[in-house]
Amino acid sequence: MSTSVTASTSLPDSRPSRLRRFSLRTYTQNLSLPSGQRSYRHSLSSRIPWRSSNPDSISPTANSTTSPCPESDHPTLSRYTSAPAPSYGFGTELNSQVSSTESAASTPSNDLAQTSNSMARLRSISAVHRPPPRTLERATTNSQESTPSPEPGPVQSNAAEPTSAPADGRVTPSKSETKATIRFFPYQDSLQSSRPSLPFVPVARTLPSESCVIRVGRYSERDGVPLPNPTEPSDAPVGFKSKVVSRKHCEFLYVNGQWHIKDVGSSSGTFLNHMRLSQPNMVSRLYSIKDGDIVQLGIDFRGGEEMIFRCVRIRVECNRSWQQQPNEFNKNTESLIKNLGKGETADYSGCRECSICLGSVLRPYQCLFMAACAHVWHYKCISRLLHSPDYPMFQCPNCRAFTDLSAEVDDSNDPEEKREKEKKEPAEDRASNDSGEQAETEVPSVVETNSVQGPPDELGDLPEEENLANDVENLHLQDDQQTDYTRNSASPAPNSSSDDLARSATTNIPGWQPTQPLSVPAGRQSQLRSDTPTSDDNPLTPRNDSGPLAFDGRAGMP
Amino acid sequence: MGSIKRISKELTELTESPPEGITVELADESNVYEWKVIMEGPESSPYYNGKFLVKLSLPTEYPFKPPTVSFATKIYHPNVTNDEKGSMCLGMLRADEWKPSSKIAAVLQFARQLLSEPMPDDAVEGRIAEQYKNDRGRYEEVAREWTRKHAC
Repeated sequence: MSTSVTASTSLPDSRPSRLRRFSLRTYTQNLSLPSGQRSYRHSLSSRIPWRSSNPDSISPTANSTTSPCPESDHPTLSRYTSAPAPSYGFGTELNSQVSSTESAASTPSNDLAQTSNSMARLRSISAVHRPPPRTLERATTNSQESTPSPEPGPVQSNAAEPTSAPADGRVTPSKSETKATIRFFPYQDSLQSSRPSLPFVPVARTLPSESCVIRVGRYSERDGVPLPNPTEPSDAPVGFKSKVVSRKHCEFLYVNGQWHIKDVGSSSGTFLNHMRLSQPNMVSRLYSIKDGDIVQLGIDFRGGEEMIFRCVRIRVECNRSWQQQPNEFNKNTESLIKNLGKGETADYSGCRECSICLGSVLRPYQCLFMAACAHVWHYKCISRLLHSPDYPMFQCPNCRAFTDLSAEVDDSNDPEEKREKEKKEPAEDRASNDSGEQAETEVPSVVETNSVQGPPDELGDLPEEENLANDVENLHLQDDQQTDYTRNSASPAPNSSSDDLARSATTNIPGWQPTQPLSVPAGRQSQLRSDTPTSDDNPLTPRNDSGPLAFDGRAGMP
Repeated sequence: MGSIKRISKELTELTESPPEGITVELADESNVYEWKVIMEGPESSPYYNGKFLVKLSLPTEYPFKPPTVSFATKIYHPNVTNDEKGSMCLGMLRADEWKPSSKIAAVLQFARQLLSEPMPDDAVEGRIAEQYKNDRGRYEEVAREWTRKHAC
């Protein structure tokens, strides 16, 4: 440190030298960063998309409007980041923010960002997304500036945005947590009669409100074709294509936290667990039903030979939605599964047993089957129940929950994950803005300190000195600001950087003579000026390139 | 043959830590599908002090098919047939009620529970069920006598 000061005492004004020291420090600091921080950044970037993949965590306005990249890129990127689209939006926002604020003159970085493939963009994101822990205060204000209202913003634009589908999904489960759900599955009475009942697609309903009633009757074209399994709460009537079902047959009601069934005057009767609820064409009272009850509509007519004359047998599943939502059990299962690949270090203490063979399940190297209820068995053990005559329907032998194995794969986001991300969202949001802002201010600083760093040291007597000095003043004003806030929050860096500085100073000083490298800086300056803009989107690059150059230039002059 | 593994596992479990009043062993060491169970009459029941030999047979499809439980020792009970078979009617053992995740231990505990609390509505011996419902004292008397005669 002291050596560097003495080295620069030849300059007329002491103040610039002090400033220079600042600049030098930032420079060396920058130099010291890449090795140490690169991995950190990469790990960060690989982690960030995961945690911030909530669509709300980004400002979708920026996402949809200022995004320089076409929407169609989403899948690729999301695949790379192994997180849904929002992570991409996150990146674009940064990109766009950086490119727009950084230089209105559209530096090559902007073009680069647009033309480069998604990997490059990823890299740039990772690079840009640098030091989230720093400058939090500043970042908050920044985020407020750039995204006026992070909270309400997303809601509006989410509705319009195609990528926001998960957000819609998020709303539903949180609602349905408190809502009554009921599902109807075809039931084949294997014991009582050999005659099959009417086959039908399983029906699911979630009541929009408790006062709603689910009407069941004969299928009618006039009613339209209600979705069998709407994702939204619905009290759409349920229709069965059988002549033995009356147009108005029965109703399912939710009263005082309990599902009930009522025959509304059917002609051929409603049977609850083989008991007829009412006389023909009479309305019955309410009967409470519970999970697993069998409801039969009508009686086979003409022996039920024709499909249209078959009775309907329904196995009712009530309020099992909690099983489809995050709960202690399935979260536990999830963590156990995550443990699978961890080899010997894995902790199997919570390991469950396969209820078929009673052997331990959730150990590595086994073929497993997990049902929607998060019960897990060895595939070999459960396969008998999977490939049963009821095939697409699978009943969990542990909890009797029914699953339609042929149901479409639901690849929408896990509401749980989303909810967790939501919690993190504000922080992420800030972090993203923060880093965007940071990168934006930092990139120029790198450029300038680099270019400035050489001249005042070595061009002390040159005519441009004054201009340069002015430049330096100006730049250092910025620099000061910047170093101030970097120093404020980035405490770990300075230590290492001062070490670096000392080292670089000592290595430089021995061979250093004021007059010697005069020609070098000029070349270097131009070099740097031309160099840096291309790598604007990636602040890592200039540091790497310029660092060794500086040393090489001097080392080459004995 | 996965069933053998599971059955032996359950057998080990049951012999190592037997439930109260129940001891199990194989009727024939070479056949894991036939079990010999000694069930002690629960204290609160007229079967107290009696030791009942219960045969438990497992189908080869176990655990996908339920086991069957029968009393080799004569017992005066509404849910056990009063014949040489001594079949016991257990709700959980009915084909449509059975769950592969149910274990033999649970079956046996349920059977023993049934000794202290018969289920007359689910009876196989209607006459005993009638008596149990209408003349509890007489029922207990006969049950105690049968226990003395056959199970001690």
